[in-house]
Amino acid sequence: MIELSHLTKVYGDIPVVNDVDMTIATGTITVIVGTSGSGKSTLLRMVNRLIEPTEGRVFIEGRDVSHLPAHELRRSIGYAIQNHGLFPHWTVARNIATVPLLLGWDREKVRARVAELMELFQLDHDQFADRYPHELSGGQQQRVGVARAMAARPALLLMDEPFGALDPIIRAKAQADLKAIQRRTGTTILLVTHDMAEAIHLGDRIAVMDGGLLKQYAPAADILARPADAFVDDLIGVVDRPFHYLTLGTVGAAVEPGEADGAPLNADASLYEGLGALLWSGRKAAPVVDAAGRDVGRVSLDSIAERAARPT
Amino acid sequence: MIRDTIRPGTILRVLVLVALIAFLVAPERFAGLLAPLTTNNAPPIYNQGSLVDLTLSHLFTVAISTLAAAVVAVSLAVFVTRPAGREFLALSRAVVNIGQTFPPVAVLALSVPAMGFGEAPTRMALFLYGLLPIFENTLVGLSTLPPAVVEAASAMGMTGRQRLLKVELPLAMPLILEGLRLSAVIGLATATIGSTVAAKGLGEVIIAGLLSNNLAFIVQGGVITGVLAVLISDGFQAVARQAAKKSGTRPQTET
Repeated sequence: MIELSHLTKVYGDIPVVNDVDMTIATGTITVIVGTSGSGKSTLLRMVNRLIEPTEGRVFIEGRDVSHLPAHELRRSIGYAIQNHGLFPHWTVARNIATVPLLLGWDREKVRARVAELMELFQLDHDQFADRYPHELSGGQQQRVGVARAMAARPALLLMDEPFGALDPIIRAKAQADLKAIQRRTGTTILLVTHDMAEAIHLGDRIAVMDGGLLKQYAPAADILARPADAFVDDLIGVVDRPFHYLTLGTVGAAVEPGEADGAPLNADASLYEGLGALLWSGRKAAPVVDAAGRDVGRVSLDSIAERAARPT
Repeated sequence: MIRDTIRPGTILRVLVLVALIAFLVAPERFAGLLAPLTTNNAPPIYNQGSLVDLTLSHLFTVAISTLAAAVVAVSLAVFVTRPAGREFLALSRAVVNIGQTFPPVAVLALSVPAMGFGEAPTRMALFLYGLLPIFENTLVGLSTLPPAVVEAASAMGMTGRQRLLKVELPLAMPLILEGLRLSAVIGLATATIGSTVAAKGLGEVIIAGLLSNNLAFIVQGGVITGVLAVLISDGFQAVARQAAKKSGTRPQTET
């Protein structure tokens, strides 16, 4: 568990982060979303003390982070940033090995861990281990950056706009991969973004920041259903709200008994994808199959539409 | 892209180097070439000392002063780019600039009474003269590193010292080498005036030529110095290019 208590950072007379209290559960993805200048990156950087707070404390598993030497603290926390910050004079393998080597792991263990991570992030070891960062594509650099952040198996991973420099198609894949990897490793992730869709897609909980203040901190569904104020409302976007809402539920949750024609939908696809498939194929309903391919019923436009409406 | 083909420039440089060595080892064979520059049957080849010895001590003087300048200038640049030394930045810039604006002849004239005749005043002048290019280049190298990379180094848990040695200095290396190149080349040329205060070096040949009105001496002293400067400059550039290529940053333009 990570606890931010009365966290404040003042530059000159201006509070960039203003008295933020937050508790982050272990093993979850928490997304801090806000416009530029909202203080979200500053908040993130105070967790691993790249920025020292003016006031307030950060506790990780009950331990005050200010009691550890900063470099030791940072070796126990993963960190990935927008422009990946890979060391340009080191190979991919050496970059990924940064923190394990700082921690003094023995060579064999480091080599095994690098190979394991490169496989996890779909980077062919033989092809990429000895390449330099400038020889990689943007998506590959980003994956190396995240692999480097996770190399020493940190329990906590901080990510500052990690997908900001990627094009939309690669970004969607990188988000899905991150989510899958997080489910496997159980790493606690604290991620900063300005993109509400990304926040809703990735976050178990979403923290909305504006002007240094924490405006709302709640699961995505609550943020969508009950935005705390006009700013949160704006950030979500009135037009997009029902569609955001549909990305949260699965087709499986909207299944009703009955039959329908045409290609079946997967029960674990999102309602958003289900709606898209129905609209595009011009059907009112489609059969639904589970992961094993068994018929479990059907989903209709009406049942999806019900779930896009504001909850009462 | 790495090309393993030998460039014409490389062949030319090797030929020039071979010619230089041949001349230094057996200068009398080239006497015919230089004879037209002499009058009244004056000797065409410098005959008051071995050209090899003079060249080696010339190079040694330059090497030792450039090395000393590099140690001081790089240390100073590292110091003023750390949080603790930042306030000394303006001061050290001023001090190093004074070193550069002071004419080497004046340094020689002022240091002879204190240090006596010989190599010492020359080394002092070259040292002071060599500081600025190395200092300024190192400063630029260390202060224009990509911010994301420097932040990542801290965020990975490197201590300040690890960050400097593993990330900052290696990435600034192409520019530091460029500073060294400038200092070495300036030093090589400037060292010739050291002979006015009895430092052993190629300046002796030039000065002997001036005193005895022997154009052949002046030409051979000048050409050896010039060729050495060009070769050393090229050598540094090749190493800097290699360093830049490896780091993938600041690719240097081919010259």
